[in-house]
Amino acid sequence: MSRRCGGAVLERAGVIACMVVMIAITLVSHTSRFAAAQPAASPVELRIAWWGSQDRHNRTIKAIELFQKKHPHIKVSYEFAGWSDYWTKMTTQAAGRNLPDVMQQDYAYIAEWSSRGLLASLDDHVKNGTIDTRSVPEALLEGGMVGGKLVAINLGSNSQCWVIDLDAFKNAGLEPPAPTWTWSDFEKIALALREKLGIWAMGSGLWGEQLWGSLYLSAGQWRYSADGTRIGYADDKPFVDYLGMLLRLQKAQALIPRPDELSSYNVDTQGVEITPLVTRKAAMAYMWSNQVVAVWKAAGGDERNLALLPLPRVAGGKAANYLKPSMFFSVTSQARHPKEAAMFIDFFTNSIEANELLMAERGVPISSKVRQALAPKVGRSQAEMFAYLDRLSKDVQPIPPPDPPGHTEIVKNVYVPQVVDPVAYGRRAPDKAAALLRQEANAILAAKAKR
Amino acid sequence: MAASLYFAFTDYDILTPPRWIGLANFQRMFFDDARYLQSVTVTVVYVAIAVPLRLAFALAVAMLLDTARHGVSVYRAAYYAPSVVAGSVAVAVMWRQVFGTQGVINAGLAILGVPPVKWLGDPDLAIWTLITLAVWQFGSPMLIFLAGLRQIPAELSEAAALDGAGAVARFFRITLPLLSPVTFFNLVMQTIAGFMVFTQAFIVTGGGPMDTTLFYALYLYRRAFESFQMGYASAMAWVLLVVVALLTALLFKTSGRWVFYEAKEGR
Repeated sequence: MSRRCGGAVLERAGVIACMVVMIAITLVSHTSRFAAAQPAASPVELRIAWWGSQDRHNRTIKAIELFQKKHPHIKVSYEFAGWSDYWTKMTTQAAGRNLPDVMQQDYAYIAEWSSRGLLASLDDHVKNGTIDTRSVPEALLEGGMVGGKLVAINLGSNSQCWVIDLDAFKNAGLEPPAPTWTWSDFEKIALALREKLGIWAMGSGLWGEQLWGSLYLSAGQWRYSADGTRIGYADDKPFVDYLGMLLRLQKAQALIPRPDELSSYNVDTQGVEITPLVTRKAAMAYMWSNQVVAVWKAAGGDERNLALLPLPRVAGGKAANYLKPSMFFSVTSQARHPKEAAMFIDFFTNSIEANELLMAERGVPISSKVRQALAPKVGRSQAEMFAYLDRLSKDVQPIPPPDPPGHTEIVKNVYVPQVVDPVAYGRRAPDKAAALLRQEANAILAAKAKR
Repeated sequence: MAASLYFAFTDYDILTPPRWIGLANFQRMFFDDARYLQSVTVTVVYVAIAVPLRLAFALAVAMLLDTARHGVSVYRAAYYAPSVVAGSVAVAVMWRQVFGTQGVINAGLAILGVPPVKWLGDPDLAIWTLITLAVWQFGSPMLIFLAGLRQIPAELSEAAALDGAGAVARFFRITLPLLSPVTFFNLVMQTIAGFMVFTQAFIVTGGGPMDTTLFYALYLYRRAFESFQMGYASAMAWVLLVVVALLTALLFKTSGRWVFYEAKEGR
């Protein structure tokens, strides 16, 4: 009982504290409007949020400190988290109308977030030069456009990749695969690695929804129809075959078994540095190219011989990769200081000093000036990432349309719990699972389209 | 509260105004949502197993402490500690480490020559790691039991012993009946808490594998804050509230049959 009373008192104290803060904020924002005319601007508190690895947090915080030094009237407060916690946090803040000024965004989410009116248009900031895009090719800004409005600035180019441990391949007496390899090449190589080395050949689970997408991209299709109202492919067979291959590899212990992945090597909740390649418990890993820097560092840095390869293709298919804006910064519609938020994004995009701290950890920088300044200074992992994207850009698919609203629900309520998990645990046959995915996804997309 | 009752009959995604859809949320919940039914099953199983186990454990420890002569306060504090930090994230994170594939438990098993067990990755075992966690946090019912035991006059037990009643008989004939009001209180509180369990599953298992630890509160949270379905989540919350209220009422109704209040018996 006493605990309850304590709770009520605390709650009341919390409400009072909130009111005090709100009043204070109102006062501050009023005074800052007055102060704008005067030379010495009163302090502006800018809130910035991002997801990422420890390495990214450290680098970003250093860049923020530099920004504050250049703009003494701006005080930046920041929050960061891993991928899944980040999105929970942001949706909660959106519900409470308490989003930060600048938030990191992902290509998978900008359409949905923009359609909910949560992201501010950046067009005016670009027009008046607050965000300088003169050294950025138009094509690299396109990913941040939704319905003809620029709502997000690309922070770096990126693509999915296979990271392979060249030493492990050498020990197994295998040649590294060709960049045009297929899924059946991959299966053979994985089984051979397992047999020769006795470790998992592949340390990433490969059950994720992104591979479902890439599979159909390589077959010349896409998982959703162009208008985003239904599944976009007619034939379940590539996906069924793919799930069957994963089951065979899992059984042979060539692929990390799903139970191990979920309990001890969960990169979504524990960070990408947990991948077994880092501790030589696996010879290959799947990730996004911008994650390579952190993984390489965790794996031991320059003493490790790692190389990047494109995704395997379906038999007779096209490239499975596309170049994606790795992530974005957006100014939210709930921002209290949109102008300073735009200044911060400009600083991140164009400041060479800032990018020397960030060191392309979010992907290859979009400003050509920054890229040129960085090229001679990068370490081995960044150099391999730059070179990989160069190699890739010669044979790559155009970026597929952003996933429709409803995609998140399909992934969280259907794809993971009802499709791949039951298949991985041997409780649902791949063909039944693929049919269920089609049926449930179509229902969700149709319902969203009706609204 | 009133707002959430209204939302329960709407389709509401926070940013567009709520749209009245009548009973559609409830219809979907009971007839179309397999994961909802899964979350109900998981929660009921958890409550039915974890609550009695926790109470039995708490009573056993309380009786041990009751017989101890020295240092009771030290033990009491030590056994209560897990409950103080019970709902905390830190304990849940620790639990994840302990039961991880390379955790302490598996290291211990390895010494005995047992191959590692995937406690958190196996659909049949994951719920048991959470039940173990719940049982381990027996501190607060234990304190209440201990206080209850101290109220039982020692003469009753001594008299029964003189009459030739063994320890087992004394426990069932004297201790348990005299303790029944306290047991009842504990049962009600723990059942309510059991239905609302969230942090443990959220941190330790994330509801997986294969939804075998998808507790009601966790699924509700997912619908609300990961899928933006506030209307559906509100409907779920109201169903939970009503069910817990009914269950508590049921416990109170049946309590007359087994709860023994000393004061009522002809003094």
